[in-house]
Amino acid sequence: MDYLSSNKILIVNLESGEITEDELDDELVSNRIGGVGVTSFLYDTYKDKDPIVLGTGLLTGTLFPGSALGIISAKSPKTGEIAHSPFTLKAGMELKFTGFDYVVVLGQAGKPVFLWLHDGVADIQDASEIWGSDVWKTTDHIRRGMGDDLIQTLAIGPAAESGSELAQICINYWGSGDCWGFGKLFGEKNLKAIALRGMGLLEISEPEDFVDQCFEIFENINKGSFQGKAGIQDIFSAMGENDASEWLLPSVHRNSACYNTPYPTNTFLYLDEDPKTVAEPAAPEPGFLVTDPCALLELKRCGLSAKEAGSVMRACARYGINPTAVAEFCARSGEKSMENIEKSLKDLKGTISIPDCGRFSCWAPGKPLFSNFDVSDTSEYGVWWKRRQAVAYIFGVHPIFANMAPELSEELMLQMVNKGTGLELDQEILDKVIEDVCN
Amino acid sequence: MCATSAPPSGFIRKFWPSNDRIATDSRNNGIDFCNSYTSMNQKLARGVKIQCGESSASFLAAFLQCPSRIPRIGLYTGLGTSHSWLWFVDLFDRMFFHDVVFLDEGMVRSGMLKDLDVFAMSGGDTIRIAEGLGAEGANQLERFIRQGGVYVGSCAGAYLPLKSSKQYLDRFNFVDIKIANLAKTVPTIKQLGRKATTAYGCDYVYHPVREEVKLRSTASGPFFGVGHFVAPLYGGPSMLAGDASEILARYDGFTKKTMFLVDETLAEKTLINNVAAARSKLGNGALYLFGPHFEHPYFPIANHLVATAIFWDMKQSNVSGKSDVDEIILDGPDKKKFVHDIKREISNARIVSVGLETTSIRWTIGCKIYEPEKIRVFLEAIWKRLGRLERLSRLKVSNQILEQVTPCAIEVTRILREVKSRLGDRLETQGIAPSLFDSLRRLTMLCLQTYFNSLLLDN
Repeated sequence: MDYLSSNKILIVNLESGEITEDELDDELVSNRIGGVGVTSFLYDTYKDKDPIVLGTGLLTGTLFPGSALGIISAKSPKTGEIAHSPFTLKAGMELKFTGFDYVVVLGQAGKPVFLWLHDGVADIQDASEIWGSDVWKTTDHIRRGMGDDLIQTLAIGPAAESGSELAQICINYWGSGDCWGFGKLFGEKNLKAIALRGMGLLEISEPEDFVDQCFEIFENINKGSFQGKAGIQDIFSAMGENDASEWLLPSVHRNSACYNTPYPTNTFLYLDEDPKTVAEPAAPEPGFLVTDPCALLELKRCGLSAKEAGSVMRACARYGINPTAVAEFCARSGEKSMENIEKSLKDLKGTISIPDCGRFSCWAPGKPLFSNFDVSDTSEYGVWWKRRQAVAYIFGVHPIFANMAPELSEELMLQMVNKGTGLELDQEILDKVIEDVCN
Repeated sequence: MCATSAPPSGFIRKFWPSNDRIATDSRNNGIDFCNSYTSMNQKLARGVKIQCGESSASFLAAFLQCPSRIPRIGLYTGLGTSHSWLWFVDLFDRMFFHDVVFLDEGMVRSGMLKDLDVFAMSGGDTIRIAEGLGAEGANQLERFIRQGGVYVGSCAGAYLPLKSSKQYLDRFNFVDIKIANLAKTVPTIKQLGRKATTAYGCDYVYHPVREEVKLRSTASGPFFGVGHFVAPLYGGPSMLAGDASEILARYDGFTKKTMFLVDETLAEKTLINNVAAARSKLGNGALYLFGPHFEHPYFPIANHLVATAIFWDMKQSNVSGKSDVDEIILDGPDKKKFVHDIKREISNARIVSVGLETTSIRWTIGCKIYEPEKIRVFLEAIWKRLGRLERLSRLKVSNQILEQVTPCAIEVTRILREVKSRLGDRLETQGIAPSLFDSLRRLTMLCLQTYFNSLLLDN
């Protein structure tokens, strides 16, 4: 693949330390397009070796609106089947620019390691010093050690190291869409983190047309139904959770968007300082960036205040545990004390319910946001949602943003991918890939 | 090579661009100089004999005695240099002057100039360069030129052989040219104060302008056929030539891109009509002194003049062969690993250096100011050539480079990370800056030596 791609699939065997590279064939892309289409294929290829597959879509890292998505595909410890987890913020984009389109991690390292991917180079680095550290310290250690604050990390905390199925892979300091227990898989492989940084460039088949059209789409989309809306508080309103929006607002400091995503889907809550302050905070980290609206909503339902819910999510992110799972335990036990919840994280054990979201993460709210996408019957939401998520995961578009931007039609994404790659992918191929990754 | 005083008139019409064409558009006058030199040098490197007037062998060969081989060029990368020697690297790379040897002060002192046709010296801190080369370096340089070598100096490289009584510099009084931008007191500086003046004994060298200046060729010697052109001035000298030197170009004016560091009247008085480029004979050899950076990659006419100068005075006799005893050919997995190891560390270093560029830190080394952006200039010079090294099937590497390059790259990354860490902790970094730039310079030199050796092998 010459365009919108680094043309590289990285295969890392943590057990032997062997690192090899395969080319990304045009034929594979023509049959599987990209993103979850290819990660599923690679998972099947290596499934006897317990793989964790990371990948990006063809649009990830480009100027196409919402092009922030990276995907982890692996066998979920919860379901025993392949599942896909999104990672956004700047991490999806950064993976794309490391010079690897896909990364297959095999085997178990003999000692704790982290994988350092940069500019087409993959290094297995010793992580003994940070094994046992929480996610925040892990990210700080890697960034300081490598000398760059822009390094993106997919890291685990003590929850994953202890083998908890509730463990979550976190992005930098924050939660992710990993509701599948993939953190446990990292822990089993002695893989403390994957650190990403790349300063590569993407070649585009028709660069001027592609870029011009991206700007046009951007302009058009910004006039759309989410105009004037921002953050998780407005996502709550769009979900029909108006009281949650009001509940959250007093703690909101600012909203934050993922790479090249027109709607800021993340909201920073000030927990230790006045959210209305605009000065530099006194504490190095006075709050928490909420990236998971559904988890926050579940904690609200447990009876916590927004500030308390934010604090619990912060503790979850540090420990590397899925906050939605924590909320479910709280709901079961009736525990409403923030301090007690935070103290109990390391002792949480047991099974939690598996949401009905197919192989995709339930991180993205299960209905259209700000726009109805011409889906009038709520009973059709489930089918619509799965297809929409599949499309987002195939092309590399932010899964929450995909649910609020009907302008990003399947036809448009295909058209832009064809313009960017010079390939001739059509709806028939897309339908086939969607069917395959959904079943 | 002894040049005729002027090309035959028939040749001018046939091969040479008219003055007017060069004067009207110095950036692109319809002549692809770069390709002309590339084509000729590729043939020379393969041992093909060039026929005078042969169109495909470039216009150059017609009025000179035809060069019989690709010139062997030494490029000074030692103590006192800034990053501007990398502009010479770009020029040599683009024009296929691929027989390049990178030399530090120790290599010059140890007599390695004797194997060269040309020795090029770019910008930096002239006094540190002179100090580094020392008396033995000065002796070696003088012997090299007197025995027929060509010295090409720009900016600090042009100051070096000018008349001076200052310590260290007084060993390099090779030409009868004086510095015009010299004052007893510091003139009023309008901007970039620290870059505008340098103490020079009891006096001050001041730099009236930076960036692009207009130049007027005297059409003498190798500059024949060239009228007006432009080149960038970054602290190079305005010169006053004696009778023994041939004036090749004078400062003629300014452009919209000229940045005035002193009052415009003083700038005009200091520069206009003074010498910007000169040629001086010394024994059987010659010195070419360029105030502006003629080697800067954005200035094709000036680049062409550098290349012409190289051929104009290049000696006909063969230089003694460079020893290949220490060199090995790497291919297959060994070659792949060698390049990959370099790539790994250059990537690590680039990642840190990009982060440093968001800081306001500055370092003073000698009398020069270094910004973090300079770090990446070195790293990018290597990085942009790694793809070519990856694609080559074989590399020619000396044992010394094989042993030193990866540890040197690791050391650069280590120092950069230490700088970043210390900045994060609000600690001083001035103390480690010289070792950072020394290591960077060394690393770049090792990598580029491998690059040029391998390209020559591949030709």
